Amino acid sequence: MRPGLAGRLSRFLVGCHPRRWRERYGEEMLDVLDQHQATARTVASLWASAVSAQLDPAYRTDRLSLSRLRRAALIAAAITAPLALVLAPFGYQVWQDSYWHPAADEPLETAAFSPHTDIMVTAFGEAIDGTDMVWDVTDLSRPRRLSQFEGGQPVALSPDGRIVATIAYDGQTALWDVANPRHPVKMTTLSDGDGAKLEELAFSPDGRILATARYDKIFLWDMASPARPRLLRTLGAPVTYPAGDGPIPFSQRDLAFSPGGSILASATGTDQVTLWNVADPAHASRVATLGGAGDFIQAFAFSPRGNLLAAVTYHGTVLVYNLADPARPVRTVTVRGLLSRALYPSGSPQPTETPLCATCQPASYAVAFTPDGHTLTVVVDREEMSANSGRDTIFDWPVTASGTLGTVTAAARDVADFQPVIAPGDHTVLGSPPGSHAWHAWPLP
Amino acid sequence: MHGKFDDLGRFADPSLLILTSLSDGPKHGYAIMTDVAGFSGVRMEPGTLYGALSRLERRGWVRPLATDERRRPYEITAAGQEILAEQVTTMQQIVRVARLRTAMAWGA
Repeated sequence: MRPGLAGRLSRFLVGCHPRRWRERYGEEMLDVLDQHQATARTVASLWASAVSAQLDPAYRTDRLSLSRLRRAALIAAAITAPLALVLAPFGYQVWQDSYWHPAADEPLETAAFSPHTDIMVTAFGEAIDGTDMVWDVTDLSRPRRLSQFEGGQPVALSPDGRIVATIAYDGQTALWDVANPRHPVKMTTLSDGDGAKLEELAFSPDGRILATARYDKIFLWDMASPARPRLLRTLGAPVTYPAGDGPIPFSQRDLAFSPGGSILASATGTDQVTLWNVADPAHASRVATLGGAGDFIQAFAFSPRGNLLAAVTYHGTVLVYNLADPARPVRTVTVRGLLSRALYPSGSPQPTETPLCATCQPASYAVAFTPDGHTLTVVVDREEMSANSGRDTIFDWPVTASGTLGTVTAAARDVADFQPVIAPGDHTVLGSPPGSHAWHAWPLP
Repeated sequence: MHGKFDDLGRFADPSLLILTSLSDGPKHGYAIMTDVAGFSGVRMEPGTLYGALSRLERRGWVRPLATDERRRPYEITAAGQEILAEQVTTMQQIVRVARLRTAMAWGA
């Protein structure tokens, strides 16, 4: 505190003592202050002295009058105002945090959006104790939480925003009616008769089909009657490993319908993406396999027109495929070393590759095309491998219609410390910030 | 007028320093602060000083003298000397035990 300010505040606080106290000690106290170098400690001691003198019955013998009451109110305001000023920023922060962080005590795992409503469903924590929340995201920077239910994760939201599918505690799909988003109601549990744990799910763009996937199988469900979905088809998904790697240490998963809805892409524990023709779901069949990754597929996304598919692998390789003819996909781009670039933005040191580790994951990825299809975005969240944990690196490439990439731009920032999620349309990343089991929304650069 | 010294609460320590300071003659507020800082190293703030002084005065342990312009000297009373002596005796007892026990603990 500046000496001048401390001196003025000290003199003011002398005036905040009761009248009888001031008559007795005021002058000599001011004299002491004239000689004393006032500091923040001086102000604090006088503040405490004024409060205790005001509370002291020995000085409370003045006749009660309106002017005295007014004076008391003024003094009370003078005493509390500095406190309020000091506490206000903290209060604001707490308010902001509670506004932005009203989530579970576990990190954000997945978020599901619907193209036709302003509803978002998030899942937090491990599948075993996952908490799901329904949000009104009319303004994604100011989400409003509408309800919460114990549904598990991951989650998928039907295109009309009325049905949420989750993978429940028992590993099977649970369907929730969220037509009233403030009161989710569990409708039914789907049983594929196998009992093994499901890992991923996706609604078709028209909402008629729900695809659920296990490590080695995909199930297609007819959603014509959501309360009683009918199993239409079971597809045996190939399980493949990169050369030299044994069974996968983690659950890799991704499942998505093409924007047109006739193609389903799956990468449920493989080093390749499989394309399925689901135009007639009851007779769905494999169309093609997108290979050549040489690494486990971590995440993928269709372009808005559905003619391109971009995938990112475990060690940070980006692949783009042209699906103009889905039966004969063409790999147009292979970009390696994304993880190295994220870990060492300055370019040094240059590790050839982060070793595959049985107990840790080098990074979490999110991949998406912008709604206009002109930009491909990959968010790399480096996990505990790096001292700079908690920094996300966001890579943006211009994309041509044929699927080639222009010059990348990379931006690093504190975004998430866990699985990032790119919100469709808004070009916004969601994620749990470092040290917090809540979530934030950050606009992308 | 005699109250127990411990009833001074958070003003007990400053009061002891003020009584000690006044025991060699009357002093005004700022002189007490500088004197206390000189012999004890404690930098007393005006709010604490006057909080303690007003309580000592109410208990009759110090007495205000006539003001010299704005400065008012304070003088220790007989009762104040008595309570100070009591406190010093207690402290000497504490010091004696502490010396004894630390010497035993350190094996000196």
